[in-house]
Amino acid sequence: MKAKNSFVSALVGLPSSIWHSIFRNPLPHSDLGRAQTSFTNFFLHIHPVKVHRNTIKPWYTMGLGLITFYLFLILVVSGILLMFYYVPATTQAYDRMLDLRGTVAFGTFLRNMHRWSAHGMVAVVFLHMCRVFFTGSYKKPREFNWVIGVILFLLTLFSSFTGYLLPWDQLAFWAITVGSSIAGYAPVIGADVKFLLLGDTTVGQEALLRFYVLHIAVLPVAVTFLVSIHFWRIRKDGGLSRPEESEVLSDSQSSDVWPKEIDVTPATPATPAAAAIAAQPAGFIEKKRYGIQGVVRGPFTKVGNVPDKSVFSWPNLFMAELFVFVITLAGVLVVSLLFNAPLEEPVNLTHPPNPAKAPWYFLGLQEMVSYSAFWGGVGIPTLEVLILLLVPYLDRNTKGVGHWFSGERLLANTLFLVFVIVNIILIIIGTFFRGQNWEFVSPF
Amino acid sequence: MSMAKKNIANNPERTEGQITRRNLLVWLSSVGLFGSAVISIFSNLVFIKPRATYGQPNRFSIGKPDEFPSGTKLALDQQRVCVVRDGDKLCAISTTCTHLGCIVAPSDTGFACPCHGSRFDQDGNVTGGPAPKPLPWYKLTMAPNGELEIDKSTEVPAGTYFNV
Repeated sequence: MKAKNSFVSALVGLPSSIWHSIFRNPLPHSDLGRAQTSFTNFFLHIHPVKVHRNTIKPWYTMGLGLITFYLFLILVVSGILLMFYYVPATTQAYDRMLDLRGTVAFGTFLRNMHRWSAHGMVAVVFLHMCRVFFTGSYKKPREFNWVIGVILFLLTLFSSFTGYLLPWDQLAFWAITVGSSIAGYAPVIGADVKFLLLGDTTVGQEALLRFYVLHIAVLPVAVTFLVSIHFWRIRKDGGLSRPEESEVLSDSQSSDVWPKEIDVTPATPATPAAAAIAAQPAGFIEKKRYGIQGVVRGPFTKVGNVPDKSVFSWPNLFMAELFVFVITLAGVLVVSLLFNAPLEEPVNLTHPPNPAKAPWYFLGLQEMVSYSAFWGGVGIPTLEVLILLLVPYLDRNTKGVGHWFSGERLLANTLFLVFVIVNIILIIIGTFFRGQNWEFVSPF
Repeated sequence: MSMAKKNIANNPERTEGQITRRNLLVWLSSVGLFGSAVISIFSNLVFIKPRATYGQPNRFSIGKPDEFPSGTKLALDQQRVCVVRDGDKLCAISTTCTHLGCIVAPSDTGFACPCHGSRFDQDGNVTGGPAPKPLPWYKLTMAPNGELEIDKSTEVPAGTYFNV
């Protein structure tokens, strides 16, 4: 009888036991509860419980890194869906593109989303790099995260480039013919790299298969791996960059020092950290309000007797991130509804389009290549990448971190601005001012 | 247990840099692991380098010499080669632009590339544009069945003609 009772009560309690085995904390209603949930929840613990107020200033980061990440997520989802209908064969690929347009439900729309997100990701990741540079955010201790970021930028370009071939139309074929030939100009290894990339001497079936494998497996895995390290290091480097604490003190004697709105006293100490807080003598509770989750090098969110410029990640940061996600997704949806991804004639080996142009983000490169194949295609780009990678180690000036276009970084910012503008001008010339036989034409 | 291990590792009688059995084993196994990693990366590179290509063959027949009367300048776009005959002299000039791999088209003065405006004369020498090298000439032979054969894997110096 007793055993039956306990069985019935277990059955009655089954939904709630399952629920509580999944969610460790009840839906939180206080700052402490939200802090505990974001600490124990796998998806939320990517963020610290509290972040510096500077982190959520919209005009500081403009959410550019976040937008890049969201675009990557959209690309992964739409890409996996497109894979259900795509065949990487020269005899079928183009027909599959027509099928997407004609017979597959939402086919055109998904391809548009994938195409425009890819272009968007290339553009936004570049803007993100500009943001990091102009705010001096690559400086110690964030040097290596900048290096990972540069590698991620290159992987983004390469992912977009490998995807460009897959529709197997005229645009794809000749852009990749031109692009892979640029790789062939690299000294010593160039010819081998080109042969490994194409699996043949010219763009054909082998190249299509190789680009497909790189595009759907190798590069996404590499990007995911590096993005994880990129995010991890933000935490370990003490959060996003910001002005020195002393500056903050001097420029604000405001009331947000010592915030009073925080729910200080926990009703029931649920975690060892909370218990420790409760066990503290009264004088300490006043100052130390939450546990330190780990010992972090560098400028971390301060606890104890320093002015508190931090805010709870939930809701401040999480809502901001949700907002950026909604805006990003809405942008991609609207663009995909309004504009169709280009699809030209099927590949015709005997009729290269005139002019044959690479993807827009490589048109600056192609413009330089039209002056000198080696220097434009390999020499200068390699130098640019090398300098980008070494930027945090070359620039020893430690001042001006955390401000856009800080006057203390005038030289570095000016040099980088010149670099950005020159590249953008080259891309604009290559895109709009080059016509037949790559001769100068006016678009007006 | 862990204390005992520590004591061995921190034995004060051993000075730093001295080769202990432990150090030697650590060093040897590191070399082994690192070496295996290098070899596996290398073998992967060997794997993805194709030994046979499935595309256009490098050696192919183009037909009997009669099919190319004197004055012919016929571009075979699939094979990316242009067959030129002047009197008894025959040659095969590549139509792959040496700049960025587009297919050059025969023009009145020689060849012109549609992609970046490179121009070549009748012998494939660069006369303008960004192309860094002249168009290569390929080896042309007569097969036993009387058909001409082009071997794109063998380049010959410009001006090397096959006489029929």
